[in-house]
Amino acid sequence: MKKLKFIDRMAQGKVSRRQMLQSAGAFGVGALMLPKLADAAGVLTCLEWGGYDDPKYYESYLKRYGQKPNFSIFAGEEDALAKVLAGFKADVMHPCNYSVSRFVNAGLAVPIDTSRLSNWKDLFPSLQTAQGVVIKDQIMMAPADWGNAAIAYRPDLIDDKFKADPSWSIFYDEAYKNKVSMVDDPVAITIGAMVGGMSYDEAYLLNGDALKKATDNWGKRAVDVSRILWADPTDAEQAMAAGEIVAAYSWNGLVKDLHDQGIKVAYAHPKEGYFTWFCGLTLLDSGKADPAQAYDFIDAWLSPDTGKALIAQGYGHSNIKSFSVANPADVAAMGITDPVKMMEQSIVFKSTPDDVQVAQNKAWGDVKALKL
Amino acid sequence: MAGYGLLSPALLIMVAMLALPIAALVLLSFWRQSGYTLDTTLTGANYARIFGLSDSPTVWMGIPFYLAYPVPVILLIKSLMMSLTATVTVIPLAYPMAYFIAFRVRSGKSIWILLLTIPFWTSYLLRVFAWKIMLGYTGAINSGLMALGIIHHPLDALLYNSGAVTVVLAHSWVSFAVLPIYVSLEKIDRSLLEAASDLGDTRWQRFRRITLPLSMPGVIAAALMVFIPTVGDYVTPTLIGGSGGSMVGNLIQDLFMKRNNAPMGAAVAIVMMAVIALIALLFVWLTGYHKMRARRR
Repeated sequence: MKKLKFIDRMAQGKVSRRQMLQSAGAFGVGALMLPKLADAAGVLTCLEWGGYDDPKYYESYLKRYGQKPNFSIFAGEEDALAKVLAGFKADVMHPCNYSVSRFVNAGLAVPIDTSRLSNWKDLFPSLQTAQGVVIKDQIMMAPADWGNAAIAYRPDLIDDKFKADPSWSIFYDEAYKNKVSMVDDPVAITIGAMVGGMSYDEAYLLNGDALKKATDNWGKRAVDVSRILWADPTDAEQAMAAGEIVAAYSWNGLVKDLHDQGIKVAYAHPKEGYFTWFCGLTLLDSGKADPAQAYDFIDAWLSPDTGKALIAQGYGHSNIKSFSVANPADVAAMGITDPVKMMEQSIVFKSTPDDVQVAQNKAWGDVKALKL
Repeated sequence: MAGYGLLSPALLIMVAMLALPIAALVLLSFWRQSGYTLDTTLTGANYARIFGLSDSPTVWMGIPFYLAYPVPVILLIKSLMMSLTATVTVIPLAYPMAYFIAFRVRSGKSIWILLLTIPFWTSYLLRVFAWKIMLGYTGAINSGLMALGIIHHPLDALLYNSGAVTVVLAHSWVSFAVLPIYVSLEKIDRSLLEAASDLGDTRWQRFRRITLPLSMPGVIAAALMVFIPTVGDYVTPTLIGGSGGSMVGNLIQDLFMKRNNAPMGAAVAIVMMAVIALIALLFVWLTGYHKMRARRR
């Protein structure tokens, strides 16, 4: 009997995760692990950050296919990774330079054939060959948007001490308890260790006893001091608009949004350094749509029109032409428009090895759980 | 056999939608996560990890936990305490409502019961968000108190802690508690109440000696109906609790998603289920539910 055979093989550990999920799915049991089933073949499915599903970022795709892709929104790359590992089928994912290796190591990503991307030739050459874009001599991510992580603050509400000497230390200082918002990510431990005097190159690799020590000290402080740990930038944005918090870990877009609402807000570059990230599109092996669609979607993200929309939000773009079509005032507001210069002046986020990332996720999750 | 025939549709659904998933969860909890794949050799390592002892205690709320990995147990205890508080709050709120409908409303009882269900006409998510508007920094309570001049700065303590979660849980589950209490009050033989009055009981004595004991089965059912589902709640602490108000459900979600350790998540879920079942059984046994039921026949 087939059924008995299956149980037999399962007991011997000969059933792969995928087979198990398929069988479980047949009974509806897998539903728990498949938060949303991918729609019928044909429509592109994209794993995307909140807010980046806005049609202004893929206009040419929309024009050509007449409908939006199916989006599945994630709060962090680790969430998206877990979802794909559990059997979620997606064609495209939006990782960043420091996280793309997680998908590659898990065997979920497919190399990109850049000859199928009409905009590839116009990208900054430095980004075309950057670490994270190229992994083991293959293009694994088409770089699209780049920006910073620094501190957004309300100059009308924060004290002069911070304004005179901006520092990440406010996220770990009892004096700012319930007045600030850190991001809900293990990077809170890394930055804490940097406040404690460690260099980024040492801090992002924290593991074992050193990680435990840093978590017990800096991680715990970050959790205690923050009013909320934001998973979606709009959470921090709303709290900041209301004056509930006076400072937050933030990307460029939040500052622009609040400014447009007429709220006084500034972007500080703390003395410990501020960060640069660059993100892009990666092809996944589980997609059901025609790969041509996926390439068109990625190409749309690399187009100068998308760059213009991103620059209007305060972010950078990978296409050199974007900066000539964008609104000159927006370009001027950016300050640095060359990604290479930006990366020289700031700390570029680096990808942590798998075992370190897992250990840091766990440490951060546990220290959050034990807050009273 | 005819009985099983009648039961079979429900039984099929129960097996397919409840028994099988739970069996899958139990199986999953005996596997292990290794990197990106599942190690399907059967092992009790996840349970050993939850209950593994250590010589150096982790102190939480002044209580030392002699566990190597105390997070699941501490969060489970915290969740149980929060649910218990919500349950203890809900019963005195629900009882007068049920009493009113059972004894005071003469006509149009169905309208009153319909009114009770109005909260369910909107999504649970919306009701939780509504509480965010009430308790928020610029919310109704804070701006009201500021307008009255009682406080000068908005209160931080209203939102993002376990107190806020408990309040919202209590509010959300009151309506569920009213119905079983109402049913047991409605079933009380009115002639017993008349007899008590005839024999000289005051209204208070009559309530204490006749009404309350006879409505206890409803109260117990209501308590279980509130307690059991709230322990594992995930949505409310996520939206209202911040990091200070997280419950065991949040840990399970985190284990399944961000930490990519589904077997450990399954093990914590199974432990939670077992503990809730034990507490429920203990509660039913201690309150003598069976004796109560027998007395009513």
